[in-house]
Amino acid sequence: MTASLTLQSLVLGVLLGGLYALLAAGLTLYFGVMRVVMIAHSALLILAAYIAWFFERQTGLDPLLSLVITVPLFFVAGVVMQRLLIARLRPATLTMMSVLLTFSIALLIEGLLGFVFTGTHRRIQLPYSGTHFEFFGASIAVVKLIAFGLAAASLAALYVLLKTTRFGQALRATIQHPDAARLVGINTDRVAGYGFGLGLATAAIGGTALSLDSTIYPSLHWHWIGPLMAIIVVGGLGSIPGAAIAAMALGLSQSLLQIPLGTTWAQTLFYVALFATLMLRPQGFFGGRLAQRF
Amino acid sequence: MKNAQKLRAGALVTTAALVLTGCLGTSSEGGGGGDGQDPIRIGISLPLTGDFSEPGKGVRRGYDAWAEYVNSNGGLLGRQVELTILDDQSNADRVAADYEKLINQDGVDLVFGPFSTRLVVPAAQVAEDYGFLFVEPAGAAEEVFTQGFENLFYAAPAVADDHYNHLAEKIISMPANQRPKTAAYAAMDDPFAQGTAYGLKDKLEEAGIRTVVDEVYPPNTTDFGSIAAKIADSRADIVVGGTQYQDAVNLIVALRQLNYQPKLAAFSTAPTNPEFPEAIGKQTEGILSPTGYTPEAAFPTNREFVDFYTKLNGNPPGEDEANAWTTGQVVAAAVEAVGCADPEPECQGKLVDWLRNNEVDTVVGPLSWDEAGRPQSAHLIQQYVDGKIRIVLPEDSKEADFIYPKPKW
Repeated sequence: MTASLTLQSLVLGVLLGGLYALLAAGLTLYFGVMRVVMIAHSALLILAAYIAWFFERQTGLDPLLSLVITVPLFFVAGVVMQRLLIARLRPATLTMMSVLLTFSIALLIEGLLGFVFTGTHRRIQLPYSGTHFEFFGASIAVVKLIAFGLAAASLAALYVLLKTTRFGQALRATIQHPDAARLVGINTDRVAGYGFGLGLATAAIGGTALSLDSTIYPSLHWHWIGPLMAIIVVGGLGSIPGAAIAAMALGLSQSLLQIPLGTTWAQTLFYVALFATLMLRPQGFFGGRLAQRF
Repeated sequence: MKNAQKLRAGALVTTAALVLTGCLGTSSEGGGGGDGQDPIRIGISLPLTGDFSEPGKGVRRGYDAWAEYVNSNGGLLGRQVELTILDDQSNADRVAADYEKLINQDGVDLVFGPFSTRLVVPAAQVAEDYGFLFVEPAGAAEEVFTQGFENLFYAAPAVADDHYNHLAEKIISMPANQRPKTAAYAAMDDPFAQGTAYGLKDKLEEAGIRTVVDEVYPPNTTDFGSIAAKIADSRADIVVGGTQYQDAVNLIVALRQLNYQPKLAAFSTAPTNPEFPEAIGKQTEGILSPTGYTPEAAFPTNREFVDFYTKLNGNPPGEDEANAWTTGQVVAAAVEAVGCADPEPECQGKLVDWLRNNEVDTVVGPLSWDEAGRPQSAHLIQQYVDGKIRIVLPEDSKEADFIYPKPKW
């Protein structure tokens, strides 16, 4: 294991961790706001990736521009999905039933993508897909850096939104104690709807980032949902900074472990981390007890 | 009350069972006759729904086209052929039951194989039990040929391990100063994909080309950054991928991002996919791939097949269609030579013996088999030359010259 390979893996790990953080952010938000386990999150990522691919193919413009359409569209879809579907589940069985409900949404999205775009694997052909620059002997691919930038920008924006705005305060209050939030006059239903919309908006950004540097197909989301779930449990359900730190830690270790262990064993890292977390610290390493704190 | 309900339900099930068996009984009596002018009935089960439905439908198009071609040219032994195609839903239990039904109840005269290793093995077992000849269009993995089947023949040029044979010969025959010295291999953990890469690896290692990277990754791998980093760090002269589709595309892009420039790059399956140049763009130049079939191949019956198929379906056939057609050609050659097509063990045994000892001219070239049913040819090697995928090896079928070293990607 040479020094240059270690540095290269470190760089790849950081970039991968950033992408993981972005993809997992929405997932932890749904759970924090509503105790909803959103199996369809990764399917929505793939949907956004398909929209980016289709946009590029139809218009010839950069797929990043599709964000102008997908972010508002996904936000509205999220609000509608929360108000029409999730809000109807009985609070007592919400977490359990949300698994079934969102599982069916995931199947629906996968089926529709297969129906409309067929099962053919697609990839956006970007003029800069192989472009890279040197960094102390390691290469950094431009597409990966863009994805990392999108992740950093959206997570920072989310953080500022939740920490400084009135809506953010209301959302955090809803996360921490919905009854108390209602007592001080917060319309928790509406806030929860917007929170859900926000989660879907991150899926739009995440899916577009994903589409820049991967080959997509309708059933791809099954490969993503497991690792993403592991990340949010390790990070502490409901905690966005926790998810980001866990994503970075897991991304880096996966990339570094791949050199001595090979791909097959490096992939098990997520599940080892998941079991270790559940045994040693079920509330997650970075978040509070089931997201009581942000 | 409860008992009465149970009784009623039981009666219903019994009636249904009687009706169903009654129906099946008449249909098998209707079809099993044997005087010379009855059609030859061929039973097939294919994955028309489920995991393998895309290739399964391709195989079906190939079989249908073949039957139509044979019937419009006077049939087999002067009899028309009639296909009975069942849907096994890509399910290994179902496929065995399907062949059981085709042979036992429908009384078909011949059977053709289904698609893919996972379904070929249970289906071949049934055919073996009834002594039926079993020619199959897909199922190239080694495990198909190690089950001890005596009636099985794979109707394609080569098993997975032999796909790269022409390329191996070419590399080994290069003058010492040009010949690559090191090689990196990355293969999906899948019997077929891994077989292709390791078949080449074994031959090159024997010739003294050192293996510097040997990575195996699970089929669900989507991030190839780390594998690419290992390969790039090794500075191997050549890179070989035992790949399906998305893994090859992702690996190639990841290698480009790390500025790794090998002298030769070969990947199985992916480069022959029409979507491949859409995904990779201009950087496909020089990429190699083995292929079991191309409509451009100059084998004697191929032109006729391509024309007939294109007229029927509006587009040229792919590999699945070609392998199905090949299956038809192989069985037809045996039937014409032996002069019988009926389910009797005597006739089926003669068909098997004939194929064991003879060569058949097909759209994928002349085929002959070893005792286990492994075809004895090798795949054509194609390469992207001037943006188009062309046959470059072997020399006598080439459409363009082999490019070495590969231009930068």
